[in-house]
Amino acid sequence: MKENMNPDDAKLGALLRASRAAPALPPRFQENVWRRIEDAEAPVPSSSGLSWLDALAALVLRPRLALATAAVLVVAGALLGVREGTLAANQAAQAQYLDAVAPVALR
Amino acid sequence: MNRSLAIVLGALALGVALFCGSYLVSQRLCQVCVAQPAGSLDWLRKEFKLNDIEMARIQKLHADYLSQCNMLCQMVTAKKQAVAAALNTTTNVSPVAEQKLAELAACRAQCQSRMLQYFVEVSQIMPPAEGRRYLVEMQNFTLDFQGENAQPRSESAGHEHHQP
Repeated sequence: MKENMNPDDAKLGALLRASRAAPALPPRFQENVWRRIEDAEAPVPSSSGLSWLDALAALVLRPRLALATAAVLVVAGALLGVREGTLAANQAAQAQYLDAVAPVALR
Repeated sequence: MNRSLAIVLGALALGVALFCGSYLVSQRLCQVCVAQPAGSLDWLRKEFKLNDIEMARIQKLHADYLSQCNMLCQMVTAKKQAVAAALNTTTNVSPVAEQKLAELAACRAQCQSRMLQYFVEVSQIMPPAEGRRYLVEMQNFTLDFQGENAQPRSESAGHEHHQP
């Protein structure tokens, strides 16, 4: 390729470049280009988060699952409450007995 | 997005409310149902697995002890008032106040001695293993052998014939 080049070709090239009309770039062209590149490279959390949340909301709204979850929560809460209530009642009964046989003044 | 978020958050809040509601209701119901009337010795029966014969003997001991305990508590109260009166008359600890304090301490010691005697008598009615456990627990709770943590917290003000 280099062998074919000569000063005339260079002149010709310059003339061609000069004759080609270079359109003016729009304002803030470079900034916009970089912004579009960044947008293209950035992850898309909003769209994936949206689908995840939508799926969860759809799951929550399934009647069978909602009913089963509610039943499990009520039963678990009741069991824990019975356990704690029994313990508290037992402690109260013990304290009641101790108050009867060992007045605070004697302890 | 907003709708889904609202649904999920609403479901979470509903779940928490259901769990907490059932927990609180069952706890309160259980406490009310299991609660024993004042003066009942059902706790002893359950805790130390006592039969009817043992319970009858303990109830008799308990009644005798309570009458004596009441009398001793009145004595302690009288001694406390005497100490307070002796201390009110002067800013120093006078010989009279010291004597009253010694009398109060002696009275307290007498009460504690009677209390321990009651615990021993009750423990002897129980099966041996349970009796030993009862005696250790009572001594720990009443004489604070294991520090403040051994004291159960009572919701009530305390002893029926307790004197300040």
